[in-house]
Amino acid sequence: MSTYVMGRTVGLLVCTHCHATVRAIQSSHALCPRCGARVHERRPHSLSATAALVLSAAALYVPANLLPVMHMHTFFSEEDDTIMSGVLSLIQEGSWPLALLVFVASIVVPLLKLIAMGWLLISVARRSPGHALQKSRLFRLVEFVGRWSMLDVYAIALLVSLVQIRSLATIQVGLGALCFGAVVVLTMLAAQSFDERLLWDTHSDD
Amino acid sequence: MRCRAELYRTNSASIDTAIAWAASALVLLLLSNAYPLVALQLNGSVRATTLVGAAIGLYNQGYAPVAALVLVTTLLVPLFQISGLLYVLVPLRANRRAPGQNELFRALTHLRPWAMSEVFMLGALVALVKLSALAEVIPGVSLFSYGALMLALSALTSVTPTEQFWRWVDGGGQ
Repeated sequence: MSTYVMGRTVGLLVCTHCHATVRAIQSSHALCPRCGARVHERRPHSLSATAALVLSAAALYVPANLLPVMHMHTFFSEEDDTIMSGVLSLIQEGSWPLALLVFVASIVVPLLKLIAMGWLLISVARRSPGHALQKSRLFRLVEFVGRWSMLDVYAIALLVSLVQIRSLATIQVGLGALCFGAVVVLTMLAAQSFDERLLWDTHSDD
Repeated sequence: MRCRAELYRTNSASIDTAIAWAASALVLLLLSNAYPLVALQLNGSVRATTLVGAAIGLYNQGYAPVAALVLVTTLLVPLFQISGLLYVLVPLRANRRAPGQNELFRALTHLRPWAMSEVFMLGALVALVKLSALAEVIPGVSLFSYGALMLALSALTSVTPTEQFWRWVDGGGQ
């Protein structure tokens, strides 16, 4: 015995914005009577938009990690820093908790987001039932952790503007930082454009 | 229920509490941008930077998109969130509706993930640790006010969940 019904089978829609329940009408653009947001049974083109964003992010993930995010020029030395070498230098300075934080936020989280979103997209596209609860939880986790990847971008921004002491030390931004920022933004947009309800459309009570 | 996400959360916080948190967040945001975040001392020369200064630094090196990203997520979105909430909540308290209230609140809900003060604080911490190997670092006034802003913003978010807002609208500011 099921304890819930699907809105679309009984002619009801939920406004994804204010959560008001709306009677479904035969119109392609119904507006929510309470807040005026557009109400959809399922968000149109959610799957293709999300897939496009995930693919672009995946393509940029490679240069984001391979290209230097900054270039440090001091009196004694010159060095290019990628995200990974930044993590290693934090370890060398003995601050391994921060190194772990940066490693997780900048390398693990974006990669996991790409894999997770890819898996969710494929399973919706193939209409594969099962694990809907786990998939839903995974999606909410992706949505929640996404913004923390911006951490490195902020650190770079501060380093670049502070370390500008001519002839002693200067730091230049690298192309990797641009790619990295783009990965974070694209994966966040991908999570926003994904209609979570799609995960439940092929679900049957077990 | 089926997917075990929280359906909605309301709380006993009144609209006055929300307005109070928004007002304090606004003051802290202005303070955070008026004073330098950190200063760096190296061989007698001192260099300080503000939040906007950090964005300008990126812009000057030809990375306008990254500069815009930093500026939008740490300054513009929080500013828009706070002032937008004040704009709809203050009239709502007097049982009036601000023009464009529904559209504005929808925009605020969409923008919520893009306000990244707490992420910025951790990023600043990472930068400071990296710098301390190189030179003497002096934390500025706005580093502390930015930390307080982070707390005020999360308090503000927790007293104004979407569902709560629409109840205030339906119930005329109660």
